[in-house]
Amino acid sequence: MELVFDESGAIDYMPDVLVIGAGPAGLTAAYELSKLGIQPTVVEADAQVGGLSRTVNYNGYRFDIGGHRFFSKIPLVNELWHEILQDEFLTRPRLSRIYYDNHFFDYPLKAFNALAGLGPLEATLVALSYAKAKLLPHQQEITFEQWVTNRFGQRLYEIFFKSYTEKVWGIPCSEISADWAVQRIKNLSLHEAVRNALFGAAQAKDGQIITSLIETFHYPRLGPGQMWEHCEHLLAHRGAQTIRGIKIEKIRHSRGHVECVYGRNASGEIVEFNSTQVISTMPLRSLINALDPVPPDKVLQAANQLRYRDYLTAALIVKREEVFPDNWIYIHSPEVKIGRIQNYKNWSPDMVPDAAKTSLGLEYFLWQEDDMWRWSDDRLIDFGIRECSALGIIEPGEVEDGAIVRMKKAYPIYDHTYTESLATVRNYLEIFSNLQTIGRNGLHRYNNQDHSMLTGVYAARNITGEKHDVWAVNTEKEYLEEDHTTSSTSGDRLVPVGIVPAISEADVSTDVILETIFARLDPVAMGGAVGIVSGLVLFLATAILLLKGGEVIGPNLSLLSNYLFGYQVTWTGAFLGLVEAGVVGFILGYLFAYLRNLGLTAYAYFVKRRAESEASGDIL
Amino acid sequence: MQEKSDQSARLSHMVVSIQAGVLAFVFAVIGGLGLFLVTAWLLVKGGEHVGAHLNLLGQYLIGYSVTWTGSLVGLIYGALIGGVLGWSIGKLYNLIAQARQRAGKKRTT
Repeated sequence: MELVFDESGAIDYMPDVLVIGAGPAGLTAAYELSKLGIQPTVVEADAQVGGLSRTVNYNGYRFDIGGHRFFSKIPLVNELWHEILQDEFLTRPRLSRIYYDNHFFDYPLKAFNALAGLGPLEATLVALSYAKAKLLPHQQEITFEQWVTNRFGQRLYEIFFKSYTEKVWGIPCSEISADWAVQRIKNLSLHEAVRNALFGAAQAKDGQIITSLIETFHYPRLGPGQMWEHCEHLLAHRGAQTIRGIKIEKIRHSRGHVECVYGRNASGEIVEFNSTQVISTMPLRSLINALDPVPPDKVLQAANQLRYRDYLTAALIVKREEVFPDNWIYIHSPEVKIGRIQNYKNWSPDMVPDAAKTSLGLEYFLWQEDDMWRWSDDRLIDFGIRECSALGIIEPGEVEDGAIVRMKKAYPIYDHTYTESLATVRNYLEIFSNLQTIGRNGLHRYNNQDHSMLTGVYAARNITGEKHDVWAVNTEKEYLEEDHTTSSTSGDRLVPVGIVPAISEADVSTDVILETIFARLDPVAMGGAVGIVSGLVLFLATAILLLKGGEVIGPNLSLLSNYLFGYQVTWTGAFLGLVEAGVVGFILGYLFAYLRNLGLTAYAYFVKRRAESEASGDIL
Repeated sequence: MQEKSDQSARLSHMVVSIQAGVLAFVFAVIGGLGLFLVTAWLLVKGGEHVGAHLNLLGQYLIGYSVTWTGSLVGLIYGALIGGVLGWSIGKLYNLIAQARQRAGKKRTT
């Protein structure tokens, strides 16, 4: 579907676009459409926009659902963030630690800090376990357990990865696909690792440091929801409508074309949308089940096998000015169910209305089927207070108030079956000419906010005739920043092209420098050059002595015959020396160039391994 | 090793082109200072037969000897010869490398 222009260049036919979901992906798609001159309609099931990036306001205390660092390697997204929020961004220091066995450990993990905190005996066992993993690694890295164990050893895996990861995902690490971990570090290209090592971290347009382990990040003054509420205002200003409280129930389609989308509003009335284009951020399972007529059994079954982890925050208002200095703490201690504790005030001081108080978010990762999911809010708050005080973080009497926020389908699960199920669903969806799915749940991919936003931008541009593969986002680094191409399956619309989020001039210039530094010396050419010069030098040295003459000609130069077979200070020797010195010079020149190239390659390889190693400590 | 080679190829597709003038300058500095310093070192050490072997360079470098004056003469000679060698290596390297690249391109097309 493309825009149609009349003879004067004005838009003659305006597509009627429906965006399902007002989270980062959906609102970004709508925002991009509005910039392209199209006013879409956005529908949101919830009473609030922002999706997982919303900010809940409870009596002036603002709670970020999950904690969102605004940090992206994608310049386009950085530009969008600043375009939407302008000067409402704060730059905040990052501090996050792991709490385990009554100790705090630095996060991302640092070897010395981790070993010092564990004590000498445990540290020895960890070192032995690490050595074993290096000597006898798992030959295959199919599961998350195998992936981490190969990098950290069994002992560190059990201490720093197993309990927390299983809290988050609710399934054993041996059943979690390694894809999840790989996705977190795969973006480190050799090129980028070397560039960062040589020139420091690259900077995006806004000056934000681009590196996998940042020490500061941007954050909206009033939490991430401020971004999306502001985006909604901007959309309204441009004539795009955002309707809250509409739950999509049915999507009628025929011959690969969505004809009508039916939703139900808060009053229980059915609302119809006869849009020509649909962009959906709905969870794929819900989307497939909403299709009318229903898809084939195989597709339905695959969609129903896609699983999601649900998430609950018990927000506590504590009568204390400072509780801990971190933005958040990972709770690895298996004796409590809390997975993470957010300290919203440390994200932004404006998240609390009273500087003498602190608001904490105790995060629980659950299934909707769990009993705990259905507990009353009061019971959940009491439980949270008990766990938090058991960890020694607060005293029960310090808690003034609390609130509960539940988020369904917060995390798509990467289990052993998801790849196949997702492929089936994706293949089926590709028959639709006017339906695109985007965002974390629309692609069933553990995307961060920036990647979700990028899928929104691509989907919007696809409607105007460009061709981008939203499924390729967060899969191939090359698609975003390097070769500008990717290989992927292409359906009716999803043909990849070289879309390039803006690459700054600074990046280009450092790339040119990198190209120059790492340009190869041609060993044969170097060997040839040194060989010719060496041969000629010896020939000339010999010839000069011969021309000068004397009683005993060149007794010292003749000593070279110890190395150059048959060489003498004679005219024959001069030519022999020319050849032999040429050969020796060639070998030396070749070796020099080869070793120089090898050294640079080894350095680049080392830098990449180091960057990967650092990043793999940051995958929680 | 194969992995390293692949990664190197990905990192840079370029082949270095040597600036002959720069290489000549580097060789000239090394040659000139080198000969000056080795001469000066022998003079500072002193002894009965100062620099008997290094004196043999006088066969090629007219006016050079292991004396303080000779060290300055050697400085100039070293720089000149170093410069010529550096420039020659740089030029020859570029010629050969370019010829090989052209040949490589022809093969691929």
